[in-house]
Amino acid sequence: MNQIFVIAWRELTRLRKRFEGGASPVAVILLLAVVGLSVYSLRDTVSLGNGLYRLGVSGDVPEINDSRFAVNFVTPEEGQKLLADKTIDVLIVGSEVFSREDDKSQFAVRALKQYMEETELVRVANSFADEDAFPLRVGISHLSAAPPPPTTDASGPVLQTTQPVEFIIPSLTPPPAPFTQVIVTLLYIMPITFISIFFTSSFMDEKVNRRLTILLSAPVTPFQIILGKMLPYAVFALSTTMLIAKLTGGNIPLALAIFAPTTLFIFAIYMMVPLFYRTFKDTTFIAMFVTTTTTAYLVFPAMFTNNNDLSYISPLTLAVKMYRNEPFGWREYLLPSLPMTAIFAIAMYAGSRLLNEEFLMGYKPISRKVADAIYLMMAHFKPWFAVTLWSLLVIPAVYMTQVVMLAFATNLPVGLILGATLIASALIEELVKTVGIIVLAEHGVVNSVRQILWLSFLSALGFLIGEKLLLLISISMVTQAQVSSALFGAGIFLLIPLVAHFVFTSTVSLLRIKLRFPYWLALALGTILHFFYNAYVMRGGL
Amino acid sequence: MIFPFLAVVKKELISVFRDRTIIISVLIQLFIASFSSGLLLGMLSLYDADTIMRVSGAGFKIGVVGESDGVLASYMTDRGLSVTEFSSLTDAQNAFYSGQILAFVTMPQSGDGLTEISLYLPESDAVSSLIRMVIQEPLKQYENYLRAQNGIEVRYADLAGKPAVSFEFVYSVLIPMLMFFPAFVAGSMSIDMMTEEIENKTLQTLLSAPLTVSGMVSAKIVAAVLLAITQCVAWLGLLHLNGIAIQNIGWILVLALFIAGITSTAAAISASFFQDRERSQFIYSLFLLAGVGVSTMLRISPITTLSRLAIGDAYTNGWNVMVFAVILAGVYWVLLRISRRLMK
Repeated sequence: MNQIFVIAWRELTRLRKRFEGGASPVAVILLLAVVGLSVYSLRDTVSLGNGLYRLGVSGDVPEINDSRFAVNFVTPEEGQKLLADKTIDVLIVGSEVFSREDDKSQFAVRALKQYMEETELVRVANSFADEDAFPLRVGISHLSAAPPPPTTDASGPVLQTTQPVEFIIPSLTPPPAPFTQVIVTLLYIMPITFISIFFTSSFMDEKVNRRLTILLSAPVTPFQIILGKMLPYAVFALSTTMLIAKLTGGNIPLALAIFAPTTLFIFAIYMMVPLFYRTFKDTTFIAMFVTTTTTAYLVFPAMFTNNNDLSYISPLTLAVKMYRNEPFGWREYLLPSLPMTAIFAIAMYAGSRLLNEEFLMGYKPISRKVADAIYLMMAHFKPWFAVTLWSLLVIPAVYMTQVVMLAFATNLPVGLILGATLIASALIEELVKTVGIIVLAEHGVVNSVRQILWLSFLSALGFLIGEKLLLLISISMVTQAQVSSALFGAGIFLLIPLVAHFVFTSTVSLLRIKLRFPYWLALALGTILHFFYNAYVMRGGL
Repeated sequence: MIFPFLAVVKKELISVFRDRTIIISVLIQLFIASFSSGLLLGMLSLYDADTIMRVSGAGFKIGVVGESDGVLASYMTDRGLSVTEFSSLTDAQNAFYSGQILAFVTMPQSGDGLTEISLYLPESDAVSSLIRMVIQEPLKQYENYLRAQNGIEVRYADLAGKPAVSFEFVYSVLIPMLMFFPAFVAGSMSIDMMTEEIENKTLQTLLSAPLTVSGMVSAKIVAAVLLAITQCVAWLGLLHLNGIAIQNIGWILVLALFIAGITSTAAAISASFFQDRERSQFIYSLFLLAGVGVSTMLRISPITTLSRLAIGDAYTNGWNVMVFAVILAGVYWVLLRISRRLMK
């Protein structure tokens, strides 16, 4: 434990030295300037539709101060001419609005309607008494799902509601949408990502200067090195979480509970960057890829808070509920937190196995490096144990990748979304189930057909156990999603999916190892088999 | 002099293609574009009243209990909702529990100058929020009607137009993102190319070739910018194949070229000054944020210029693009001064 603290202290010293002297004042001034300018210049900016519309304005018209519109002051005659030749999109003369029939002009009218509604509301609110300006109150109640018992009361039925009545003024209360809360919760993620980039850079710096090699020859384990280097950054990240919770009026202990697994997850993912990069350009690209996919994974589900239970797979959904003062239970907490913590644990194990000079310094194609990494992680154990454990432990990563794929597939035409998600899911599953067996065969650990079949069975078994464990946690959340039954195999007799997984895994492994098919081709064939099986399950075949 | 320069450009390009990491960059852009439009589609189907109405408008069956003048009911019918009138709360409740209606509204009750109505929604969060989305507009219209009863005229209330979210997303988010993301990547790549030479101590060897230090730095910038522009051309081709009309393609490419030049040159300044990747990338990221803030404040945002060029705005032309050429020239002049530090 002491060694971990020594490495952590050394890391702090290194960071302080790096940013003292010439860089420090420049960085501080730039940072302050950036924050100030960005907040100032972007405070009234509407991001969607910025600068797209041109308005002609004539006479007594409210001031138009919206980044979507560029305003030209014209005479009514000029304005009509400009509108006709499509130089402007809309002409406003006093309280009259002129437009064309084409889409662009009509889009501008809709944008203008939104803006004018707000402007008029301010005018009305400032000019008239409250009860005249806002004469309508709507009391919203939610009726219980079960009908009330019949009553003979002459005054009418007593409606059974589930929550207290919520009173709204329609023009002032927009319908509930989680955008604002998701944006606030993103505030937590940005500093964590930024800090983890420094963590990555620190590893790279040590790698380039060969100080890591010296450290590895000292009496400390790779696990202690990783943990020691990570510790100060993790403390920074959790401190910013507490600070943001304090500044935004969140619950500090709850925010810590929600974002601690997320912090570990992001650190785990970023730790892979210095382990796998070969040139500096790799680092940039891999870091960008990691940032993009993790943000997609976190943000996409949270946008559907209270609309779809699948949203619970992102911890941001819990944070949104925290800001809405809505309760959530242990199942809802564990659904996003457990896979993230599991990925952190796997990454720590992988990191401790891969932190050696030969792996760090070797220049090979990325695919080769990944294969070597998997072998290094497995080589420590007996093949039967390694393959089973691998298939079981990669389930959280598979599950997260499938969610990102689902987000990706929503871009396709509606009819193709399900098909594309199923194909992508089948491909990922076949890849993770077979890759361990393939790398063991490449290193001569596995040779005979019997061995391949036995390991395929164990891989299928490990995957199925992991899948069902995940299902146990998520069953109450995701059963409403049509896709989940095919992705996680809900409600199917256990033996059939086990046989199916075994058939697909052994097909891919045998094609690759014994018949020398290219791996991509063997995978493609296994994926097609798996896809048809999933499609059959979804159509109620099993 | 030109041959060593081209040799450095070629070396960097070959290195990028050999490592195949550029594929990750292209994948990221494809991912962001698909993800953001997927997110937009998902959000529209849940949070945009027009989209919800287009998909399942008539499916929203709303009951109205005892409204005498029928004003609110007519607003809801005009919106496309299926409205059923009930004479009593008991009837509406029975219809709700037998699945004939999804929600119901009780008749307005006036008192103290205020009108109060009650909206009864189902327990399910998902269905209730959809109903609240689609009923919002009729309620606002009804509020305006009541204001008019109080002698308050709300101007511009009868504007309609067409929902513009998809149009605005394509021209103000998607196209600028696809045109400028390669530029941001080009900046990061410039830092990687330069700091890798410095930290691996191969810079001095490179400078022993018949090439000045500014020539060497410029060659790396040119390689990064070439990659950015190639990606922009590919994205424009794909957008065209998707049927998205884009005007002023020539000027858009020139603008993307200038922005890639500015980001790469600024990144090279950062790398020349700090001479290590960690600090250079950090300051470069801050520079990008500052650039967005300052350009928006000065109303010369390249994002707005690009959006306006793409939609064929009559007041946006090559002169707006040339502003960025001036900025590029200024940043490059600073680089020529700073890059001398590499010789020390």
